[in-house]
Amino acid sequence: MDGSIGILPFPLTGEGTRARPRVDHKNSDEAALVRRVQARDEMAFREIVERYQSKVFSIIYGILRNRNDAEDIAQQVFAKVYFSLKNFDFRSSLLTWIYKITVNECYDYLRKKRVRKLVYESDFSQEDAQRMEASEPAVDGAVPADTRLAQRDLILKLLSKVSEEERTLILMKEVEGHSVEELAGMTGLNENTIKVKLFRTRQKLLKAAGRLTRVR
Amino acid sequence: MHREIRDHIENVLAGSQPEHLAECEECSSEVQSMQEHTALIRELRAPEGFVAEPRAGFYARVMERIEAEGPISIWNLFIESPFGRRIAVASMALAILLGVYLVTSERSAEVPMIAVQEAQQPLVVVGEDGPARVIMQMDQSSAGQSSQDAVLGDLVSYQEQ
Repeated sequence: MDGSIGILPFPLTGEGTRARPRVDHKNSDEAALVRRVQARDEMAFREIVERYQSKVFSIIYGILRNRNDAEDIAQQVFAKVYFSLKNFDFRSSLLTWIYKITVNECYDYLRKKRVRKLVYESDFSQEDAQRMEASEPAVDGAVPADTRLAQRDLILKLLSKVSEEERTLILMKEVEGHSVEELAGMTGLNENTIKVKLFRTRQKLLKAAGRLTRVR
Repeated sequence: MHREIRDHIENVLAGSQPEHLAECEECSSEVQSMQEHTALIRELRAPEGFVAEPRAGFYARVMERIEAEGPISIWNLFIESPFGRRIAVASMALAILLGVYLVTSERSAEVPMIAVQEAQQPLVVVGEDGPARVIMQMDQSSAGQSSQDAVLGDLVSYQEQ
């Protein structure tokens, strides 16, 4: 999955700094598509929806585990994309930008639900619990379904304690499997900055987990 | 966490085992916690068999939603959120109160203005002094006239006696 970061330390000093050509998001195929949407070309917007709908769906489903909510939130994501695309500044890739909107929409949804734990349990039990129980026989050492739910709940709570940017970065790294190098290309930041941001996010998660344990 | 680990944390989390990790309990424990979190975050991937395709007509439903929502305006923020609505109501109430205050205070200010204007009539004749002084001067002169009449009256009556 990773492996592209090699032996680069951070903060980078001297020999560690490799000059990489920056990805030019202003002159890509995506950028042309965005410009067409900005010029009110509806077919171009349709192309964006068709190109990214599977990705958006799978991000939402991964976080919420509920197909009906995934459809609703995906619609909301693309509506937001439609209204905000005029402000897209080409500093990052379109996918990174859409990814961020999608994760934010999921967290907005979770915030609105408030009774988070109950929601997860009921939603999960409808679609996944049976499948999970059926596909994973109760062998020694296997994590029980309710423990998994509690762990999912915990990590979502912890991720709500970091900034939008940090959350997007760590999810793109660990869930989507992008390397530091790829993330640098997608976000327009340099690799060293990505590494520092990822490290700070991981530390924040540790601290948040510590606080949560003390409260409990 | 020590620099030896911190500088290579992404590699360490990907499986590399620097010597320092075996020697330092603090770093080892932190790395272990980070690995646990990483494993939990990876659980947020959609499952293998999940078909990430929306139902047919997804684009049409997106466009319907876009048409229903319309462009986001600053008014939508006030109208749609309960907090925004409260702010809007409070602002309107404040504006009404201010309006009422301004109207009533202007009316009460108009009365003395007329009085001063009336009193200022002789000012043009008298000179550049303030209106109060002019009024005072007028009062003093009229009062002086009446007292002068009284004295003359007394003298006349004294002579008659």
